[in-house]
Amino acid sequence: MPASKTSNRPEELTERLGAGVASVDAGSETLLKVLREVKNQIIGNKTKKLTYLHLGAVPKVVSILVSALDSGDGSTAASLVVQSAAALGSFACGVDAGVQAVLDAGAVTHLTRLLSSPDEKVVDAGARSLRMIFQSKLSPKYDYLQENNMKFLLLLLNSENENVTDLAASIITHSCESSTEQKILCDAGVLERLVTLLEGSLCQRDSSLDSIAAIIRNNSESVSRFVGIDNGKALSCIVELMKDRYPRTRLLACVCLIVIGHASSFYVQEPEIKTKLILILTELLEESGRPGDEAPFALVSLIANKEDLHKQALSVNVVEKLCSFLCQAHIDGKRLQGVLLVLAELCSNLEKCRDQFMSSKVLNVVADALKHDCPNVRIAACTCLTSISRSVKDLLQNLFAGYLAKESIVIPLVLLLQDSSSDVQVAALKAICNIVVDFMARKTIFLQSGCVKQLVQLSKSMDCTLRLNAVWALRNMMFHADKIGKEGILSELTESMLASLICDSEPHVQEQALALVRNLVDGCTDSIERMFVEDGMILNAVARQVRLTSVPEVCIQGMFVLGNVAAGNDAHKEAVMTYFLPPKKDEISSAFITRFLQSTDSLLQTAVIWCIVNLTYPDSPSSSARVSRLRDAGIIAQLKNMINNPCLDVKYRVRTALGQCTIIEQNSS
Amino acid sequence: MPVRVVESSAPSPAPGQDANPGHALPPACTLLGVGQTFAGTQNVSSSQKDEAWKVNVRIQGFDPAHGYLCGIMEALNVPYAETPVVTFWEGEIIDSKNYTFYTGKWEATPDDDVKHWSQFSSFSPLLSQVKADGGKSLDLSNYPYIFMNSDQLYFPLQRWKEQYFVNVSVDCGLTIAGFYYVCFSCIDGSINGFYYDPNSSPFQKLELKSTNEGRSGFSFSSYQLQ
Repeated sequence: MPASKTSNRPEELTERLGAGVASVDAGSETLLKVLREVKNQIIGNKTKKLTYLHLGAVPKVVSILVSALDSGDGSTAASLVVQSAAALGSFACGVDAGVQAVLDAGAVTHLTRLLSSPDEKVVDAGARSLRMIFQSKLSPKYDYLQENNMKFLLLLLNSENENVTDLAASIITHSCESSTEQKILCDAGVLERLVTLLEGSLCQRDSSLDSIAAIIRNNSESVSRFVGIDNGKALSCIVELMKDRYPRTRLLACVCLIVIGHASSFYVQEPEIKTKLILILTELLEESGRPGDEAPFALVSLIANKEDLHKQALSVNVVEKLCSFLCQAHIDGKRLQGVLLVLAELCSNLEKCRDQFMSSKVLNVVADALKHDCPNVRIAACTCLTSISRSVKDLLQNLFAGYLAKESIVIPLVLLLQDSSSDVQVAALKAICNIVVDFMARKTIFLQSGCVKQLVQLSKSMDCTLRLNAVWALRNMMFHADKIGKEGILSELTESMLASLICDSEPHVQEQALALVRNLVDGCTDSIERMFVEDGMILNAVARQVRLTSVPEVCIQGMFVLGNVAAGNDAHKEAVMTYFLPPKKDEISSAFITRFLQSTDSLLQTAVIWCIVNLTYPDSPSSSARVSRLRDAGIIAQLKNMINNPCLDVKYRVRTALGQCTIIEQNSS
Repeated sequence: MPVRVVESSAPSPAPGQDANPGHALPPACTLLGVGQTFAGTQNVSSSQKDEAWKVNVRIQGFDPAHGYLCGIMEALNVPYAETPVVTFWEGEIIDSKNYTFYTGKWEATPDDDVKHWSQFSSFSPLLSQVKADGGKSLDLSNYPYIFMNSDQLYFPLQRWKEQYFVNVSVDCGLTIAGFYYVCFSCIDGSINGFYYDPNSSPFQKLELKSTNEGRSGFSFSSYQLQ
């Protein structure tokens, strides 16, 4: 006999879910079929999940769960509970909107009721579903500080049911952040129980490793407690798991060991273990899923800012391996980001790493990553370029070889200066900062690509990090620029903009702006003339900032500006002299040179003395008059007191200055 | 500075160096800072004739933590060369931490090292100790005027090795196989050095002075890497 065809369209299924709530008892078999169908459709299918979410399926599933729980102990009711719990778990898996919908529908409370069911299948379903929910960052933190919550957690952790202990471990991993929470869990004996679970099933082992890492992270007391368990057997167990046949277990064991090493350098200090960690994490890159995605991030956390480990990584060919991995077929965003960050870290210090990187011809991959859809990959690519371009040798050699060519690197980097993410903009600025140093004075590529225009725009940003890095890049670009380069930069920047950056509210910006001016006036006297346009707007700003600031770094850059101006002609020297010793009695002005010479910062002292050396340079016509004025102001006497300064640079610059003064005075007498 | 190839001596492979030319730390001697320039001569006299080539040097990178510095060397009146020949060099500062007196490469024996270092008067007090163990047991604090130890330096001793030609090709008929033993004076920024290449004339003297490039005083520029 022909029957009416049942539709499996999400709209109709969702409608039937809603209709079924009222008839859990009457039409439970049909409802069960609908639930199963929905669950099967959404497992692993993000699009379907989103469709059902938009149709409002989640609250309806929660209602079915509640009705079934309240309706009694019948086998169909139990099946409905299991299927609805599984559907909710699936909604919460891997889709933020799904987790949010499940949380909004109040599912956690009802799913928790399942854990006390006498029916093992119901308990399993509840535990699995809750674990999915607690794996998401969106789910609320579990409050261990409440006694009842802690008791409940221990109950879960000590359960014989594998899914329940797994849930307990997930809750710990999700919610253990502060040292207070770590201590409470330690005091409750959680670490000991987790160590026992390391001998359990694969799932238990992995979730235990995750939880152990959460409890001991950045906490040397927890680490000591962990290492003390069974006289170090727990630690040995993790060292063994580092070699486990399952990639995920290897990754988690490595992460645990890294966390232990970070919290207390006493443990995991043998170079052999560190080399093994480096090798295992590098090999894990080849694995699919979480192990491969997270391995590079674990590797970065292991080697960050540790030159000895960079050397170890280099010795086991990690740079080579990562570069060849990058050259393989398409790599997914997260893994690509991770690998680029590892390379950036390794190339941040060691020239040998940079050499290997450059010879591996992976710069094209990095150039492509600058255009990647994911902002984090773009940031990682910029960070990698920043590290590579820390090499003076490579900057010179590769600029010549054309690797850092306009089309492949400079233009994409300049485009990133307009990225919608300010983090990407900052990362691009840092890379540009290094690349523009360009020792061969060929700054035209940056002028032609619109780079200077963008940098000037960003130096007006309200965001002080953007402003700082933009001015920093302009400062480096001005370093040893030729006349055309300097003119090009200054015509975009303008004197008034430069004067306002010197007086910026942020001392770091002031320092970079002054260093920019220092580079501008280094070189031919034409450059120095730029300081005197618009009634000496820039020079006035420099002198004002130097007089008023209390930040040594700002004073140092300001004094080097004045010193470079004083290396010009007689008129330039006289101009600096007016700031040194103003004609009108001005206590602040006349005091600042004396104050700087008394500074405890030897570089500031040196900068002031170089300025005096230039003011008293023997070849200049008015040097004799300037020496007299400096003597009258007590500066020469102050220099004499510094003749045995403990800083040799100060000591010998003082001797140069005094030697020049003596020659000038002898010649004029 | 490159010298004319007289025999089939191939340039030695560029040694890898662990260096970070970041410039967070200021140089202990401002005259040895990035951007500083020096000018002078290298005596390339042989038994046949007296000859000296004009040389300019500019410091491009300086990283005291790794005992590293680098820069550009320009040889001006190289015979048969159409333009000044520019090379990139890397320097090792003898600090007994990153680098010792013994070169151990570039075909220099310990005996060659001692012979060359002995040309500098600042080395004399260390001679016996270096002969005994290469200077490994030297107490650096007793010799602040030589070692780049903290910010106390006076006559830092260095080795400069040219790594590649910047503006001419490798087959230009010149060689940079050798390297320089260098003594820098922080008092006046003068540089004395001796070029060593077993295939070239011995003890070719390099003499450089800090230059002002036409200015009436000393000027200092700077960059800072991220």
